[in-house]
Amino acid sequence: MSRQKEMSSSFDLECQIRKWKSHLQSQESIGPEDLEELESHVRDSVEELMNKGLSIEESFLIAVRRLGEVEIINEEFAKVSTEDVWRQLFIPAATVSDAKRNKLELIIVLALAVFGGLLSRIPMLFGYVDLDAHALVYVRNAALFAFFPVILYVFWKRSLTLIKSLVAFAVCLVFAIVINAYPSYEPHHTQILGAIHMPIIMLYLLMYFFGSSYPSGWRHPNTRLNFVRFIGEGFIFTVLIGLGGMVLIGLTVGTFELMEIDIAMFVQNWMAPCGLFGIFPIAAYLVEQKKNLIESIAPVLSRIFTPLFFFVLLALIGGFFIPFTAVWENRSTLIWFDIILVLALALTLYSMGAKDSQKESRATVWDMMTLALLLAAIVVDAIALTGIVIRLSRFGFTANKSAALGENIILLANLILLAIGYIRYGRKKGTFGHIVAMQMYFLEIYALWATIVVVLFPIIFSFA
Amino acid sequence: MNMSKELTAATAVPTILAILQLNSSYGYAIIQKVREISNNEISWSDGMLYPVLHRLESEQLITSYWQSADTGRRRKYYQITDAGNRELEQITSQWSIVQHALDQLEKERSR
Repeated sequence: MSRQKEMSSSFDLECQIRKWKSHLQSQESIGPEDLEELESHVRDSVEELMNKGLSIEESFLIAVRRLGEVEIINEEFAKVSTEDVWRQLFIPAATVSDAKRNKLELIIVLALAVFGGLLSRIPMLFGYVDLDAHALVYVRNAALFAFFPVILYVFWKRSLTLIKSLVAFAVCLVFAIVINAYPSYEPHHTQILGAIHMPIIMLYLLMYFFGSSYPSGWRHPNTRLNFVRFIGEGFIFTVLIGLGGMVLIGLTVGTFELMEIDIAMFVQNWMAPCGLFGIFPIAAYLVEQKKNLIESIAPVLSRIFTPLFFFVLLALIGGFFIPFTAVWENRSTLIWFDIILVLALALTLYSMGAKDSQKESRATVWDMMTLALLLAAIVVDAIALTGIVIRLSRFGFTANKSAALGENIILLANLILLAIGYIRYGRKKGTFGHIVAMQMYFLEIYALWATIVVVLFPIIFSFA
Repeated sequence: MNMSKELTAATAVPTILAILQLNSSYGYAIIQKVREISNNEISWSDGMLYPVLHRLESEQLITSYWQSADTGRRRKYYQITDAGNRELEQITSQWSIVQHALDQLEKERSR
């Protein structure tokens, strides 16, 4: 019966729903998925009312009325929506105690920024004043200076207890001691390697602090994916603030030069390092304040660069095979290969964080693009690995080569696992969740390897 | 009886979680269920439910997936997570404390 009714005037209902939908769509907080959900709701509602004997027009009007005013729905959605961007970087506090906490947070963040800057001046107390002569001291501690204030911020922000975080803080301290207490002899390769790997360890520790207040725990893939997003957004903020800082420094130096006052030492010893290490807690604060401000940029960035990177990798492969170049002859080529591979992996990680697996339950053309990128990266990594093995057999195991070997093996394993995941996903044999879970657990291996390089490599290679 | 806005808001989360603990469901059915179990005493404005669901989802207390009905239309189903179960347990015990306290006062008054 109801079917007949629907048939006789179905055009009208469809038309009305479309109108109503376009009105909803014009609201900034309601995304396409929300729209489909609400439409489904209205249709359910209409069906039920028609079964009670109401006409199709009456049913539609009542169903829409029950859902509420479009503007009010929008407002409600705005409170939780991920699409609600821009409007309020500083969300007005709902209560007085919230307002107090917001103010306190701002003070804490600013204090941590100053703290980060001062932290980076500690080596001066030990007489390492000249940046050029003692660059290594600063380089090996840079990750600590950058991430420790962020850890403190997250620790406060998540209201973590000291007892629960004691182990993580202790680990932090142990690494700080290890990198500074280990002796280092010419040519300082193990120490430089340690400095390069410290950020991975600090990020892993930060991940613990970031995730341990989540109900599902810090090991859960979703929590970790959130952390990946946090870092990605934080990175963008850091770059933006850093650019601003560079302009500021340039202006300062330029102006004082005109006044014939030499402030080079001040800039080099205070302004630049304090500014640099102050950025990180500020960036973390901004990400926490407005988690969604950058999220809409992340998919755009990863989608712009995934195809471009794919072509770069193709060009690399072509450059290798067409005039058959022996890449292993050249050490710096290998380093560049590795940097590009890490970036390719980062892009994959990023598009993972950007993908809304709820919205896109099937593999899209973008996933295929990512798979293509991964396959190209595997070929490039295989080339690089061949080069490293040949160099190893020719020159023997040195710290740098062993580190490169380990990294490339881990990278290759990771890329292959990702490619398998994407292939299975494309053939509907696995879900996107599987890929995410695999990748998030794989982070352990990076942390483990970084620990080996920082702690064991200096011992194995006798601190050279 | 018209329930106050505050109480409606406070009870929405445990009610939704408890309904989803029975089985996964979608927005419209959840509202129907609430009307049914409360003899129409609790009636939420339909539009209010979805923001709450989305918030619970972002807090990882529930997850969602799309499923096509026989009619071919897609519905967004919500499913409770382990964290959601724990949360519900916690809220329920809190509620029973309040309930117990109110009962106690009721007894003292009628004495």
